Amino acid sequence: MVYLQLFISFMKIGFTSFGGMSMVPLILEEMSSHGWMTAEDLANLVAIAEMTPGPLGINCATFTGMQTAGLPGSIVAVLGVLMPAFTLTMVIAIFFEKFKDSAVMRSVMYFVKPICIAMILGVIVTLSRETYFGEAGILFFSVGIAGLMLYLLLRHKWSVPAVILSSAALGMLFYGVLPMLS
Amino acid sequence: MERIKKGLTIFAFFFKIGCFTFGGGWAILAQMEQEFVNKRQIITKEELLEMVAVGKSCPGIMITNISLLFGYHVAGVFGGLCAVFGIISPAVIILTIVAQFYNAFKNNYWVHAALIGIRAAVVPIIGSAALSLGKDALKTPPAVVICLIAFVLSLFAKVSNILLVLLGVVCALVWWFYSKDRQQKEKEA
Repeated sequence: MVYLQLFISFMKIGFTSFGGMSMVPLILEEMSSHGWMTAEDLANLVAIAEMTPGPLGINCATFTGMQTAGLPGSIVAVLGVLMPAFTLTMVIAIFFEKFKDSAVMRSVMYFVKPICIAMILGVIVTLSRETYFGEAGILFFSVGIAGLMLYLLLRHKWSVPAVILSSAALGMLFYGVLPMLS
Repeated sequence: MERIKKGLTIFAFFFKIGCFTFGGGWAILAQMEQEFVNKRQIITKEELLEMVAVGKSCPGIMITNISLLFGYHVAGVFGGLCAVFGIISPAVIILTIVAQFYNAFKNNYWVHAALIGIRAAVVPIIGSAALSLGKDALKTPPAVVICLIAFVLSLFAKVSNILLVLLGVVCALVWWFYSKDRQQKEKEA
């Protein structure tokens, strides 16, 4: 039952992450353990999810579900990732006053947030291995694009869509036009 | 009847907000403030900030948690569900279409070349997100140590991510019980 597997996978992802980029490591792990997606697909997915409106987690769940099992797949994946909202947050909404300043949740976040950072660093290592090393060794053009984009993001505060569009153009130049010329 | 009408209005609002927001949760939050605090004055700024604080510390996607809290505040459980489905619907529709295009075009020569370029930018994008998250999460030395231990465990000991988070929750609970216990003893002494 691929639908049930998708639902459970994304429910696990939902409950153990805090949205945004912190979901990416968990998605990568679930996707590769089921053989649903490669690291290359995941990198494309992150770019697509950043380019389209809406929360990253929903975009990722829809896209992955769609790739794995079509429209019904995307619906169960989205419902899975929403399970924390429908259960835990719903309970909290009902007892809102009591949870306003919860020492337990604060202490949980104090431990879990740094762990999320560590997981994201782990994904950076995995994706770097996949992205910057081809069969012929280091892909110098890709490393160059990465360096330039990091500079533009940090120093010039470029927006993510602008970064993605310009690296798409550079990709076409280096990996499309250049091989044709040589 | 009144409740259903309220719910549908909430759905429409959140659908609109969900259509035009790029760049994740914080951009959506800015729109919520404009729409519900400034323009319609349904909630106060303080109430919205409280919802953010709670929504942020629940697992899952921050913005859907906040939407649920808001919807519930205005129109109960039905309102909460309307808000969540409203904010996610545009994303689900758009990504469904994009996924179709992705499958049709990813092997096209030029799309393939563009995707290699885009993939090169994904690591810097994730990296800069990690940097800004890190500024918030790694303020104290113990937090940095937790991060390093988790990094080593995940990369070299191949501990799965889900297990890492669960371990973190267990440690947090132990630490919380311990510090509560100690505070009580200090009070008694």
